[in-house]
Amino acid sequence: MSNESVLGALLDTLVPASEDGRMPSASEVGFDAFLVTQGEAVAPALQAILAQLGDDFATLSAEARHEKVTELSASEPALFAGLLAQVYDCYYQDDRVRSAIGVVQGPVFPQGNEVARGNLTMLDPVIENCDQYRYREP
Amino acid sequence: MTMSEDVVDVLIVGAGASGAAAAWSLSDTGMRIVCLEQGGRVDPGDYPTNSANWESRAFGSFAIDPNVRGLETDYPINNDDSECAAVNWNGVGGSTILYGAHFPRLHPSDFKVKTLDGVADDWPIDYATLEPYFVENDRIMGVSGLAGDPMCPPKQPPLPPLAMGLVGETVARGYNKLGWHWWPSDSAIISEPYDGRDRCLNLGPCMSGCSQGGKSSTDITYWPRAVKRGVELRTRCRVREIAVDDEGMAKGVHYYDENGDEQFQRAEIVIMACNGIGTPRLLLNSKSSRFPDGLANRSGLVGKNLMFHAFGIVQGLFHERLDSHKGPQACCILSKQFYETDLSRGFVRGYNMQISRGTGPLSTAMAGFMTGLIPWGKDHHDAFEKRFDHVAAIGIVGEDLPEEHNRVTLDPELVDSDGIPAPKITYKYGENSLKMIEHGLARGEEVIRAAGAYEVASGGPLRPTGWHLLGTARMGSDPERSVVNHWGRSHDVKNLFIIDGSIFVTSGGVNPASTIQACALYIADSIKKNLSDLFD
Ligand SMILES: Cc1cc2nc3c(=O)[nH]c(=O)nc-3n(C[C@H](O)[C@H](O)[C@H](O)COP(=O)(O)OP(=O)(O)OC[C@H]3O[C@@H](n4cnc5c(N)ncnc54)[C@H](O)[C@@H]3O)c2cc1C
Ligand code: SF4
Repeated sequence: MSNESVLGALLDTLVPASEDGRMPSASEVGFDAFLVTQGEAVAPALQAILAQLGDDFATLSAEARHEKVTELSASEPALFAGLLAQVYDCYYQDDRVRSAIGVVQGPVFPQGNEVARGNLTMLDPVIENCDQYRYREP
Repeated sequence: MTMSEDVVDVLIVGAGASGAAAAWSLSDTGMRIVCLEQGGRVDPGDYPTNSANWESRAFGSFAIDPNVRGLETDYPINNDDSECAAVNWNGVGGSTILYGAHFPRLHPSDFKVKTLDGVADDWPIDYATLEPYFVENDRIMGVSGLAGDPMCPPKQPPLPPLAMGLVGETVARGYNKLGWHWWPSDSAIISEPYDGRDRCLNLGPCMSGCSQGGKSSTDITYWPRAVKRGVELRTRCRVREIAVDDEGMAKGVHYYDENGDEQFQRAEIVIMACNGIGTPRLLLNSKSSRFPDGLANRSGLVGKNLMFHAFGIVQGLFHERLDSHKGPQACCILSKQFYETDLSRGFVRGYNMQISRGTGPLSTAMAGFMTGLIPWGKDHHDAFEKRFDHVAAIGIVGEDLPEEHNRVTLDPELVDSDGIPAPKITYKYGENSLKMIEHGLARGEEVIRAAGAYEVASGGPLRPTGWHLLGTARMGSDPERSVVNHWGRSHDVKNLFIIDGSIFVTSGGVNPASTIQACALYIADSIKKNLSDLFD
């Protein structure tokens, strides 16, 4: 088994595709390309994790993979949290993922967001009760 | 070292919230003014929101903690003995580059806590003294808000309030059900085009810098005006110490330029604007035979009485989607229901409740992992969908009372990239603050449930929340009990002024930037009014 297939299986285990097909798996969002942008510090940590999972990881059932990754997260919490942060970082930048969860694609600037102005007549009770809310004059 | 014979009239150290305001105010005098700033200018094109990975970049080179950023322009802060970690930005604009821009003012009662509640000390100035400077500051900064809040003295923000959004409306319903006070927040964010700047685009992550220029940081408000009026702003110039002459007057500062070369700049007046940690650090590092314990420190109070504000947070989860990640994160609505003292609550003074919006997807997923609420694996999507954009939060910002054991000293070992001793923070929350936060969290839970939240989590005081750096060179009329007088002049060194958050006597229960800047404008105006006998 190659490193790539172990990595692919790991990504599928961490964030599998949703059953309704709306959300892709983390193995479908270009994690390899993302890694290249992350500098050299990440590669050794990832290699250590893949080595711990072992070559046969990709051949295991989904339940067995989940169990194995759970064990890893308990034995190497810092390493695991670091990897998960990278996976989520890549995943939640993906255009398909962003449009599925209602976030603008790409950089948020200069697109921006629309926000409801809000109904200021909701302040009427505060204004009616204003004697009760007075600030304290020294 | 290069000794400059060139004497400037006014030398300001620090180009943040207060330094910028004072530079602009003094610039109409025709005096020669130079500001030395250790950091550089940020190009708005470099802010994280210009790239797709805006969320992770906000935790790296734009992190709020200088120890995480570790930029050459930062200085390290030893927080090991502190229950709260100090955060900042070092560069033109100072901490306003990263601030949330929630912009309430201290209340009139905040200046009189000794008289009213028998704790701490009264300020030597009052709200009425600062009122015209609050107004001027709101105008130059560009502040959005709504007139008529019965919990504040009358005021008219120059711009209409920011959009409340679904988060604001939903939480406001909870306040109305309980009959509690709330009001749209005063925000240093422009809701409409103003002064050549375009309005806020509701990007969300204001606390990693605003690419749009909708947030009123002083690099885009005061500085362009001050520079146009002739102020010289020298960046990448880190001051090491203030030198004094034989008469005990400040004669200038030693600093390192961008190349690390030591320079000396002479000045008639020195104004410190390095914030509640940077300023005591420099004063304590300015030792001489005349001032063996550090400059302006005859009272022994330089660095003492550090106040942060105790901060807790309540988060509510709602069935309906609130679009929580959209809109300025820290500015929405606020409540002052528990702001003024009521002894039946078991503590003195009070807190403001600052309603904030939610986080982006990466932060949501990672926070969910750390709390166990959003697992990785096959249940990830369902749990994520339930939480993301379905959250409203209430920050409890509690008044922190001054205590001398809470302090800034010089670290015996840690230094910055120029070899200047780094600050060390010793800080513990007081009993009053802890009771206040407990009360605030319980009230926050009550209101967020009343608003319809079906799941509520709360916690505090939280550690990485040292946004507000106050009290370490306090104002007062008694030279034994304070560092500067009622208009910011050092009791000990007559041509040395302090204008940043250090001079706060007490902290109030609101975010301080508006009051820091009003104080800076007031001190600058006092300098102008007293020019003929400034050093008497
Ligand atoms: C993440 C974050 C969120 C915040 N949110 C809010 C908010 O919503 N509302 C609010 O009211 N406040 C908020 N604040 C706090 C607010 O930004 C500060 O209170 C305010 O900017 C302090 O003003 P200042 O002039 O005292 O110092 P600063 O604005 O911090 O400026 C100090 C300047 O001095 C420079 N300096 C320090 N030492 C030296 C030296 N040796 N030589 C040369 N230059 C030096 C620094 O580089 C810096 O630029 C927030 C702060 C942060 C970090
Ligand atoms: S929400 Fe508004 S103020 Fe905040 S970063 Fe976006 S445009 Fe700037």
